[in-house]
Amino acid sequence: MSKKYEYVPEQPLVQGNHTFSSITSLIGDIVERPTPMWWYIAFGVSNLLLAMLLGMIAYLVWEGTGIWGLNNPVGWGWAIINFVWWVGIGHAGTLISAILFLFRQGWRTAINRFAEAMTIFAVMCAGIFPAIHVGRIWVVYWMFPIPNQMQMWPNFNSPLLWDVFAVSTYFTVSLLFWYVGLVPDFATLRDRVKSKFGRIIYGFFALGWTGGNRQWQHYEKSYLILAGLATPLVLSVHTIVSFDFAVSIIPGWHTTIFPPYFVAGAIFSGFAMVMTLMIIARKIYGLEDIMTINHIEKMNMIILVTGTMVGFAYVMEFFIAWYGGVEYEKFAFINRAIGPYAWAYWLMFLCNVFSPQFFWSKRIRRSVTASFILSIVVNIGMWFERFVITVTSLAQDFLPGSWGYYSPTWVDVLTYVGTFGLFFTNFLLFLRFMPMVAIAEIKMVMPQADPHYYDENGDEPVLTDKFAKKPDVNA
Amino acid sequence: MAKTKPVDDLIYPQNTGILRVLFGIGALGIFASFIGFFVDTKQFHFSYLTSFSYLASFSLASLFFVMLHHITRSSWGVTLRRIPETFSYQLFILAIMFIPILFGMEYLYKWTSPEILATDHLAQHKQPYLNQPFFIIRQIIYFSVWSFLGYRLYKNSVKMDENADWGLETLQRKISAPGILLFSLTVAFASFDWLMSLDFHWFSTMFGVYYFSMSFQAFFAMIILLGLFLRSRGLLLNTITRVHIGDAGKLMFGFTVFYAYIAFSQFFLIYYANIPEETLWYYHRLEGNWSVISYSLIIVRFAAPFLLLLSKAAKSNFTLLGISSVIIVVIHFLEMHWIVMPTLHYHGFSMHWLDISTLVGLGGLLLGFFFYQFQKHSMVPKNDPKFLESLNKH
Repeated sequence: MSKKYEYVPEQPLVQGNHTFSSITSLIGDIVERPTPMWWYIAFGVSNLLLAMLLGMIAYLVWEGTGIWGLNNPVGWGWAIINFVWWVGIGHAGTLISAILFLFRQGWRTAINRFAEAMTIFAVMCAGIFPAIHVGRIWVVYWMFPIPNQMQMWPNFNSPLLWDVFAVSTYFTVSLLFWYVGLVPDFATLRDRVKSKFGRIIYGFFALGWTGGNRQWQHYEKSYLILAGLATPLVLSVHTIVSFDFAVSIIPGWHTTIFPPYFVAGAIFSGFAMVMTLMIIARKIYGLEDIMTINHIEKMNMIILVTGTMVGFAYVMEFFIAWYGGVEYEKFAFINRAIGPYAWAYWLMFLCNVFSPQFFWSKRIRRSVTASFILSIVVNIGMWFERFVITVTSLAQDFLPGSWGYYSPTWVDVLTYVGTFGLFFTNFLLFLRFMPMVAIAEIKMVMPQADPHYYDENGDEPVLTDKFAKKPDVNA
Repeated sequence: MAKTKPVDDLIYPQNTGILRVLFGIGALGIFASFIGFFVDTKQFHFSYLTSFSYLASFSLASLFFVMLHHITRSSWGVTLRRIPETFSYQLFILAIMFIPILFGMEYLYKWTSPEILATDHLAQHKQPYLNQPFFIIRQIIYFSVWSFLGYRLYKNSVKMDENADWGLETLQRKISAPGILLFSLTVAFASFDWLMSLDFHWFSTMFGVYYFSMSFQAFFAMIILLGLFLRSRGLLLNTITRVHIGDAGKLMFGFTVFYAYIAFSQFFLIYYANIPEETLWYYHRLEGNWSVISYSLIIVRFAAPFLLLLSKAAKSNFTLLGISSVIIVVIHFLEMHWIVMPTLHYHGFSMHWLDISTLVGLGGLLLGFFFYQFQKHSMVPKNDPKFLESLNKH
């Protein structure tokens, strides 16, 4: 080994010589400043899209699912694709909050609040599709096992029913988790805002938080328990979603690797979505000191790993489709690669497996532009993955006589576009009125949170140079 | 601020006693298995494959752990890391130990038999993959990849012990990142080759992940047991502390759930879809008293450690951790037996003495080599950039 390698020390998580109070004002001021013009424009556009979504749903309820592109044998089309896509995006938030919390990944604090909010709004968008897909939405409560005089029960053997439970549990726990984390920050805002109305509202949600020792102990305990509960949920939700497909005997759907493969894909797309939104938000709100380039690099590594895991699953599926020697399975996969939907298949492969490979390069990993572009590419790819899985297996089924080419209608497309309206309406409200970074948690990973940071008299060490490095508490 | 310094003696006390015992037991087991080879050749090969796949899983999971530890730049496990490093260094010995399996292919793998090839449609279909020359080539590829990774990661780590060059940490990460990619593909295909192709009609895309999930759970049990062993000898008492073993315990708990998740998903999807070409594998394993093992996997391998370690205090309680780890290490062997043996004894579960003798033989030798290597260098990567941080964990 002739080449000499340099040791790369890890960078502090919060850059730019911040103090506790400068962090509070950096994040708190976003809420207290007057609403910027761009926000009104973006909110207006989102509201228009949301109105369009509501219009499409009303039209659907009036006319029935015939206005979608569904036709025998393709009974599952864009609705299911969009459902799985949104639920997948909704995975990053709770993964970052729960799993990375249990793994003591300090860098999660910069993005967890943000990602949790995204999770909740994405799950809302996802939940719409199965609900409206039932066709007769006025009896949608039949999905729940409610005792009734007709003795009608949902089919407990069906993963579609498990989905109802899995997604609603996931939504509830994610919401609780998000809210528990918000309590100390709501209290911070309550103490800062000037308007009386704001004080009442934030005070109401702060639950009388004073930051006392006992309160922090309870807080830490409940946060840990919620993290422990949320961790299996992150895996179970997308596992059940994968069961929707994998328990059936449709070629291309029935394969045992589906559960972990779907979970990896969900994390993959979720991180990509967090990346897209984060890059915009840190720019607009000047949060580069908190959401640093190192955070972007770490997230890109996760995107690379999960993208490659998805690629691993593609390879396994393809190999076993041949190895298994089942005629139909083999056909399903060859049909994906060279059949009528080959364009979608290769687009999926390109976006999900090849594009993240750019992140092997440190320069690309640390490039904001490249990260932004690739994160969007990834989410396009993940949408097409669900398209390929759902449509190719159904459009060319066991009977060649019924083969056809599935195309969506304008209603399909506009409904999907409309969900972005719902998502961004919520997200913009979140950015405007809530602390978008976990103020209390970010302080815990700063050097000042370490008792060893202070000198003998308990004072801050004197930094002469503005860019001087804070003492490394681990040395 | 206070600086921590290692206060323990970091070198394993040079004694040849433990080596003599382990190599002695190993030699005895090998000798007994050698006799068994002539008594019942077919049984010998199946027992040997079971023991081999069992022991290889620890070294492979060790390799994975070391690489994962490097690419995530973890600090918690630095004090423990020399143990898995030494295990992954041994992968070239496992390559040598694989040779008898190559000679026993005609006993183990039905797809090698010309009669079956002549009549069985699936054997013909799979012949481009399942044929002896390609099988051997694949094994050479797997073991070269693993031995190379294990050797390099170990050597760089002991080199850092001597020259304290932190730049090596960067190199370790540069090896580990592509290493994990190669590892996942090679281990998946190796598990197809060694275990899944025993019943060559059967297939499962999850099988590679399944073998990995079993191995990784058992790996944490092993590292906890070795940590406790060192402590029982009064070694590294202030270096491998309750915190480090407790962290390994938390991960063992986590990967117990992960194992259950993977194993159950694989079973469940096959059970639910209920297509004959897939269900047969599980059918054999739910028949006769094989079902006892099947159910005990749920109870002993998942439920018992899950319940024992659920509370926070239990995860750093040495007694509970020890009990759970022993349970896991034992049931891991039974599960490997349950994967391999129904091919031979599809009517029911029975332990043959060759199962024990091959396990003791190979296991004794491998553990002997482990302690031989472990005595040569410091028991912890003492100059690792994160060593002090790891020592400081509390």
